[in-house]
Amino acid sequence: MKSGDSTTIDVPHHEASGGAASKGKGAILTVPARQEKGGMRRGMAIIDLVLRIGAIVAALAAAATMGTSDQNLPFFTQFFQFEASYDDMPSFQFFLIAMSLVAGYLVLSVPFSIVSIVRPHASGIRLLLLILDVVALTLATSAAGAATAIVYLAHNGNSSSNWLAICNQFGDFCQTVSGAVVASFVTVVTFMFLILLSAVALRKH
Amino acid sequence: MKAGGAVDATDKEASKPIPIPKVRVSRVLSVLDLTLRVVAALGTLASAIAMGTSRETLPFAAQFVRFRARYKDLPTLTFFVIANSIVCVYLVLSLPLSVVHIIWTAAKNSRIVLIISDTVMMGLLTAGASAAAAIVYLAHYGNSSTNWFAFCRQFNSFCERISGSLIGSFVAITVLVLLIIMSSVAISRR
Repeated sequence: MKSGDSTTIDVPHHEASGGAASKGKGAILTVPARQEKGGMRRGMAIIDLVLRIGAIVAALAAAATMGTSDQNLPFFTQFFQFEASYDDMPSFQFFLIAMSLVAGYLVLSVPFSIVSIVRPHASGIRLLLLILDVVALTLATSAAGAATAIVYLAHNGNSSSNWLAICNQFGDFCQTVSGAVVASFVTVVTFMFLILLSAVALRKH
Repeated sequence: MKAGGAVDATDKEASKPIPIPKVRVSRVLSVLDLTLRVVAALGTLASAIAMGTSRETLPFAAQFVRFRARYKDLPTLTFFVIANSIVCVYLVLSLPLSVVHIIWTAAKNSRIVLIISDTVMMGLLTAGASAAAAIVYLAHYGNSSTNWFAFCRQFNSFCERISGSLIGSFVAITVLVLLIIMSSVAISRR
């Protein structure tokens, strides 16, 4: 990208109104500072894009792993059910839907991220991305938390309410579902870094 | 409507909206921030207390059926109480910082610190609240595939208590989301 673009494009000068007094000394001296700030913001926007692509991978992995987690035990009797899938538990259904929504949102937000690399001084896009990221973080965390509660029950059971630990029977299903939950927590942590990056990049000196 | 060229120009100048001073809007945002923080602290406190004091003892004793229920019997509900307590303490401790932001509206780095810690606490609270919601759903409806029995039929008032205590927590989550958004808007305005 040509770095000269950041000084010749007609971006509205938010800093000009507030900082006109301090910049009155010489416009020539402040241009390199603005360019350097633009460079730093551009670097942060590139890291933002990379993190976003990583979060897409993690969210898709979580949704796909949960969606393909079926297990059929090779024997059957008259009274017991010997197949387990994510359909059996509403929390897992919610997890699948929520992680798919989060992955879809992330894919749709990649163009906005690219725009904020090209125009490092446009803070409206960063603010929009931050707001939508916070909403998506809430969705992802709640899906991860609900699935974790069920996975914990599946591993350990609960003696007070006579809930048996089903992991003893369905080992593969349990492992697959636990892996999906781990992937969703990776997405959550990545979202937190994305929000941090957007907040730091929104500052104006 | 248009009387002429010159009249048109003065009309435009007269009808231009007076810009609200930036300090005023930032101050309103900071006061709103403080108020919402107090609301969220009260919500999490109410949730933690409601879940923590949930206890029911059935008036009869049978041989195979457990007749006492507490929040400690389910580790997820224990995590819910702990998470709500942590977030309540954090919100109370962040009130002075919020007051500082009302007075000193140009603060940037402290707002970023507030955004980061708000995000982390929101993640913790959301995880705890949604895990407890999953358990409460199981308590109401059970699960036929895994033979998990819905104990709400036996423990009615315990069930009502743990269901109601989720409300304050979810209100606090919404408030925290609003706080993060407001802090970031305040940062981008200066």
